[in-house]
Amino acid sequence: MRGSGSARGREIGSNLVSPQFDLYVSRASWLHRLDPRTKMAFVTVSFALLLLNDQLTLMVAYLVAVHLLLRQAEIPWSRIRWLWDRTWLVSLMIFLLWPIFYPSGEPVLVGWRFIQITVPSLVEGLSAALRVIDLAFAVLVLLVSTDQTRLVQGLVRLGLPFEWGLGLAIGLRYLPLLHGTYQTITDAQRARGWSPGQGSLIRRARAYVPALVALVIAALRLSDALTLALAARGFQPGQPRSVRRPLRMERADGWVLGASGLLLVAAVVLRFGLP
Amino acid sequence: MSEPAVELSNCHYRYNGTVPALQGVSCTIEPGSWVAVVGQNGSGKTTLAKLCNGLLRPHAGRVRVMGQDARRQSVAQLARQVGYLFQNPDHQLFAPTVREEIAFGLDNLGFDPAEKEERLEETLKLFGLEAFAERPPAVLGYGLRRQVTVASLFALRPPILILDEPTAGLDWGRTKLLLERSRILHQSGHTIIFVTHNMRLVAEWAERVLVLHKGRLLADDTPRAVFGQPELLARAALSPPPITELSQRLRSLGLRGDSPSVEAFCEEVAQLVAARSEAIS
Repeated sequence: MRGSGSARGREIGSNLVSPQFDLYVSRASWLHRLDPRTKMAFVTVSFALLLLNDQLTLMVAYLVAVHLLLRQAEIPWSRIRWLWDRTWLVSLMIFLLWPIFYPSGEPVLVGWRFIQITVPSLVEGLSAALRVIDLAFAVLVLLVSTDQTRLVQGLVRLGLPFEWGLGLAIGLRYLPLLHGTYQTITDAQRARGWSPGQGSLIRRARAYVPALVALVIAALRLSDALTLALAARGFQPGQPRSVRRPLRMERADGWVLGASGLLLVAAVVLRFGLP
Repeated sequence: MSEPAVELSNCHYRYNGTVPALQGVSCTIEPGSWVAVVGQNGSGKTTLAKLCNGLLRPHAGRVRVMGQDARRQSVAQLARQVGYLFQNPDHQLFAPTVREEIAFGLDNLGFDPAEKEERLEETLKLFGLEAFAERPPAVLGYGLRRQVTVASLFALRPPILILDEPTAGLDWGRTKLLLERSRILHQSGHTIIFVTHNMRLVAEWAERVLVLHKGRLLADDTPRAVFGQPELLARAALSPPPITELSQRLRSLGLRGDSPSVEAFCEEVAQLVAARSEAIS
């Protein structure tokens, strides 16, 4: 049956995704209310800004600004710390290795054989390290404030075929389920005396075959059942569909898009200078 | 006196450290007994079963398996003592043939080749799987897949067998086959613990019933004693087998109201009729 709503278009059912396994934090802030396409534009502009430029002050300023933005949107420190926990080590490695592999300028702080640690290279290393964190936080802004349904809906409105969007939504929805299935499978094999994790890397990789093959079989059965379940509920690729919660650009979206446009201009000017 | 097969002392378990699944459960399962674990969904049945083979470790309390502290043994070590049948056969099957699927556990536990072959052939025959021995288990029908998982567990012949919803989705023929095979092991001294929602099976096969409700042990008694307590069953959201319900409704005629099986009911009715006939004559 075709939808009865006046607005026609494409929508991913909101019950297809699970809050587990995603970074979304449900709040009622203005950031959450923004259209996902606006936030995607912001992320894209942020990437342009951060990749076109390498000034340390810019990296620090962006990091501070994005933290303020997240806190303003009531994102808890625990979620912010989650990203720090996952980025600090790689950033530290970049900071430590950068001056060794890219020595530049003067004064030289430490000189030993071919290693020359200079003040400019340390600054560059710090900037490169912060850039990685900044890029991760730019994406976090989108993911913590947009639930998976709206995210996929935004991608569909930007031109992603609905069938692909539905596939993506289902994939995201089933991640926790597959994780749970994998845990159950490993439990089932352990209960038969299976005990991986000893010997060489290849030996250990081969030891996982009983769990992985069972997981693939379970996933295939699941996808088969899901395909039939979708068909049984009238899903047919290419058919027009009704929209329950259509995406709509509000005034705040206009402001943010405008600010993103200015940010893009600033990124280009900072990098290439005024014409 | 021999050590209990499984002994749980004041066991607590919380999923993710917060959601309580078991709250202070204590029970002793004697070796060679046939015990049913019942309760509504989420009552803690599977959690209790998984504590017995080390897949879960209690947050508080103690689990002893065959007299040994389960905490000191890995799941693989406990697999020699405790076999566990999972609810879904697709969570286990992976081997290219049924034969290899059954051999998997035997290889893990280091059986010598001669004994392995002997057990393999015996198990295939016992479960009527000879014709499917060289076929991939994953492509078999549900009933046969279930049978393969049961067979692969029975081949190990662990002293304790935990069957989690063993008959779910099986027709009566396969259910009967599974129970008959379980009886063979039981008669040779193996302990059978089965988690189920099927009260008819509990009434007809179990020697003891553990009733769980919201993570607590409500009752630990014989099927007759448990099914004879309608208030207890109502509290645990359990429904007695139809024959017990009939027996309860006929209490006014002089029946005890706790017949767990058709045989017990018929026997009681026959005694009642005989007593009445005697009184009349």
